[in-house]
Amino acid sequence: MNGDAASTAKGWARAIDTVGFFVALADEMNEHPERCQVIGDAEMDAVIVMRAPDSEFRVRLRFNGLRCEDIAVVRADELQHADFRLVGDASAWHVMFGDVVEHQRATGLQTINSLALMGDAIMLEGDDPMGIDKFSRFNQTLQEFFDGAAVVLAPSCSV
Amino acid sequence: MNVERTTYDSLPNATPMGAPLDWKWLRGARSEWGVRPKPSPRGLTMLDIAVGEYGEVPEHPAHRSMAPRGADIDPDSVDMGYILNNKSDVWSDNVRELYEEAVARQWSATRDIPWGELEELPDDVEHAMCQLCTLLTEVEMIAADLPAKWMWRMNHDFIEAKMFLCTQIMDEARHAEVFRKRALSNGGGLLVSRAGPTSLLRTIMEAKTYTQASALLHLLGEGFVLDIFRMGELIAPSDVEKRMFRMCMQDEARHVAYGTMHLRYAVEQDPDVAEEIHEALDHGERILVDFGAAPDVSTALAVLLAGGVDHLEDKGFPLALEMNKKQFTSYLARCERAGISRLERTTIPLELLGIDPDDVRRAGGVFAKSGVS
Repeated sequence: MNGDAASTAKGWARAIDTVGFFVALADEMNEHPERCQVIGDAEMDAVIVMRAPDSEFRVRLRFNGLRCEDIAVVRADELQHADFRLVGDASAWHVMFGDVVEHQRATGLQTINSLALMGDAIMLEGDDPMGIDKFSRFNQTLQEFFDGAAVVLAPSCSV
Repeated sequence: MNVERTTYDSLPNATPMGAPLDWKWLRGARSEWGVRPKPSPRGLTMLDIAVGEYGEVPEHPAHRSMAPRGADIDPDSVDMGYILNNKSDVWSDNVRELYEEAVARQWSATRDIPWGELEELPDDVEHAMCQLCTLLTEVEMIAADLPAKWMWRMNHDFIEAKMFLCTQIMDEARHAEVFRKRALSNGGGLLVSRAGPTSLLRTIMEAKTYTQASALLHLLGEGFVLDIFRMGELIAPSDVEKRMFRMCMQDEARHVAYGTMHLRYAVEQDPDVAEEIHEALDHGERILVDFGAAPDVSTALAVLLAGGVDHLEDKGFPLALEMNKKQFTSYLARCERAGISRLERTTIPLELLGIDPDDVRRAGGVFAKSGVS
């Protein structure tokens, strides 16, 4: 099942393999800076890669301070410009966001930190070693960003 | 601002009591008067003010006093006895960024951990968490003591590096605080402290040079602890511990990032330093392997990974072994990143742990840099 079909089947407000979904996550984060206040400022460029049998969705997330400043689709040859990449099958991302929707935030082994640590379903990759280290420094900010899916994927959330 | 200097010719040459006056600071001390850094969207950062001469960090500072870099310094300034007078002794290219990050991402072990949500845990799990917290309370303060031992020996022109190390000291105080609080807060308390960890700490403290100390502390010791914190989701029995490990993780990652880049900078500036670092790590790795295998550490982690003593054999120990493999892989990859490959030299039992050297090189970015796929 690809991302779109899986999202529809779950009754989510959006498909997760779309720019619109990530823009909605950015809006949610930017409207609630208080959620990231304790964690503090972040500065990172992360690329999310969702692999489907016949396609690959790649989106770059640019964080600055307490905000996600930019969302952009990137080509395969632009991946090296990010600090790090999180790469997994669309199904793995569905499980992760499903956990967020179910519990209102990621739990247990479905936090992005755990997933990247285990490296089975979603892998942490990068070409710049210091960029990869940024994942450990800032993944709590990324988690707050992903946890916004509890709101933006809710069936009642308008597109 | 008008950059043209006023001469202030009419100022008195003596006080009303007759003591001579010196108006050099007003009449034109050598400085970049008129240079005005622009704040970035987040405020005025250390990167923003690293402009003109103020942003230039000398390789070999001319002075050994506490005079601020960029000031008009009296040639008779007192020598403070600094012994780390080469930039490569302490510097890393990310140190200003890391300082700002550290200041922005401070947190409170009193306020930001949901202590009120602690619930009674099964006896074995509480014991294991308390044992781990006992160990962490013990080892975390080394990362405060060590920079404190060396900072007053660092030339003051490297102020940004010293400022970053100050944040590290504060971070480690908070880590010691949070783990001590966790050990005491749920009816358990501090448990066993043995000689093994202390031997590792002593090795770090007794390193002959700061760069050796940084290799042992930032790369080896803190890298190892960082991976324990990253395991937080797997070993934490409740949201309280998860939060605790997550917050500590981001602090620890900064320290490791500083150390990795410092070692890289040091080796780039003087390749002979690599052997000095290798010698320290030869010794440190042996002690760390013993430390990791010490029963108090390995069993407490295994119990936490298993969620109790009932699944130690089928879950706890296998997961602990997998985590060990990741810890050592991460450490060796950081060495690759720092430009001090340990793969041909380490005595860590790679085969026994199931570590593939190619995985280490890949994780260290070596393949990416060399174009090998």
